[in-house]
Amino acid sequence: MLVLQSIVLGLLLGGLYALLAAGLTLYFGIMRVVMIAHSAFLILAAYLAWWMHDRFGLDPLLSMVVTVPLFFAAGVALQRLLLTRLRPATLTMMSVLLTFAIALGVEGLLGYAFTGTQRRIQLGYGSASLELFGARIAVVKLIAFVLAAVALTSLYVLMKRTRFGWALRATIQHRDAARLLGIDTERVAGYGFGIGLATAAIGGTALSLDTTIYPSLHWHWIGPLMAIIVVGGLGSVPGAAAAAMVLGMAQSLLQIPMGTTWAQTVFYVALFATLAFRPQGFFGGRLAQRF
Amino acid sequence: MPNASRKIVAVGAIVVLAAGILVFPSLAPNPYILSSGVLVLNYAVLATSWNFVGGFTGYISLGHGALAGLGGYATGLLATKAGMPSFAALALAGLLVAALAVPLGMAALRVRGASFVIVSIALVLILLLVFQSWASFTGGSRGLVVPRPFDLTRPEHHRVFYFLFAGLLGVALLVWWLLDRSRFGLGLKSIREDEDKAEALGTPTFTYKLIVFVVSAGFTALAGGLYALWFGDLDPVFQFSILTGSYVVLMALLGGVRNLFGPVVGALIVGSALEYFKVEYGDTPLHLVATGLLLALVVIFMPDGILPAIGDLFRRFDRTRRSSIREVTAAELRDQRKAAV
Repeated sequence: MLVLQSIVLGLLLGGLYALLAAGLTLYFGIMRVVMIAHSAFLILAAYLAWWMHDRFGLDPLLSMVVTVPLFFAAGVALQRLLLTRLRPATLTMMSVLLTFAIALGVEGLLGYAFTGTQRRIQLGYGSASLELFGARIAVVKLIAFVLAAVALTSLYVLMKRTRFGWALRATIQHRDAARLLGIDTERVAGYGFGIGLATAAIGGTALSLDTTIYPSLHWHWIGPLMAIIVVGGLGSVPGAAAAAMVLGMAQSLLQIPMGTTWAQTVFYVALFATLAFRPQGFFGGRLAQRF
Repeated sequence: MPNASRKIVAVGAIVVLAAGILVFPSLAPNPYILSSGVLVLNYAVLATSWNFVGGFTGYISLGHGALAGLGGYATGLLATKAGMPSFAALALAGLLVAALAVPLGMAALRVRGASFVIVSIALVLILLLVFQSWASFTGGSRGLVVPRPFDLTRPEHHRVFYFLFAGLLGVALLVWWLLDRSRFGLGLKSIREDEDKAEALGTPTFTYKLIVFVVSAGFTALAGGLYALWFGDLDPVFQFSILTGSYVVLMALLGGVRNLFGPVVGALIVGSALEYFKVEYGDTPLHLVATGLLLALVVIFMPDGILPAIGDLFRRFDRTRRSSIREVTAAELRDQRKAAV
């Protein structure tokens, strides 16, 4: 029973990882940028959800009405105003530092505005749970998973079925060729960043439902997320999603014999093993070869 | 500037810097200021050690804080658990971390750029996890008390370690300078400029990167171990903090990674600023914001650092070197072309 419970929990956790890793993969695909600040924005969104709940009594899910457009705009601004200023020759390295600096700034401002106290949203349905084949699943975890699944599916449809999605994928695949076809790659890249950051807003809301948050929490997320995108092969969205599911499940299952803290190491073990034996990642395409 | 006078300026700068560093302890008004000086020198050693990898190969590591932490813990554990003499423990710790850097480097350096940074960050996070959880061996969050190597009063203790750090800094700078002038250093710099071309021309890029990473890790571990002996108390939260690594990168970039003294200058500026902030404002989350802001400004506006910027300024006023031919590197030219498209 415990195993079944862990599998279900791992699946639910993996969904959230997959959504966030998809955002990171988008940034990397578009500009070869490793966005360290992704999880800082995740925590920021969780804080905004908590704050709106605390202040105005809004349901955390409603906070997405504000945070998703806000984060989209922030993502576009980040790409257009900051990242494009960096020299192309050293873009990958310098963008890591720049987004790292942004992460520090977000963490510091969160600590300043809301203090380092641990926060948690108290919801009416917070303790409700369902029985499924003998496994108990908290309703909030299920909501978080559905949220992530819906967002990930919409992202997939957007990428595969819309003109904008085609333009975005063309930009990722070959920027110059895309430009020759009349795609305004600069604008598309900006919107792509906005979408990536919007996934952080959705993920943050999902996170706020059942997690205790504090400003430095984002370091606990960025490590696993980084590991996931490397294992999945940098730049491959399906790869990242698959790696997220597998590793999320592994973490959840390993918690039974090893405890929560040591189970986290599975991400780093997977990261080092991947780099040592298959540096391009397990699902990596052409992109991953050179990075 | 003609060559000879350039040399005189360079030697003069070195003499002034060295004299300033050596005279500082006798000028320091109280032990607290002296201990700040020790910290700043510690940062200078860390930044210079970092610059072996960052400056020569252009690979930016955010994980050097973790290597320093490992050096500190290795020194502390060897001294307490194995009962070794302090400085033997320090030397062995440096060697151990350098040995550990071999498999680490093999995993991290096989891939370019992005993955390397990811691994370096992961290193900090995983070590923090391990050292906090493995409390029976490392002392966990209760900390690890490292015995003091000398039986001295507090100001004397600071003074001795100030000179030890200064000595280590001197050695690190000397090695960097020697590498900079060697054929090996040339190979490393060719990796920084264009790794594919360097490889095509027969530079064993992977071996070169690995060697310099191990050297860098060794110096970093020595600095961390010396810190452990000086401070006497280790806590995983501070030893394996992602902040240490980011401070070091900020210092090196601010000073200028292509310069021998760039990281030292950066460490003097940022280290003093950090100590000043701590005195004036205490430990607020705002120091994170300040660090982040400064790092962002440096990355966007001054990626080459202060020293080259000052050099440019001087050159602008120097008519003898003005020519109609502008010097641009291949990378700059490529950037200009990209920007023009």
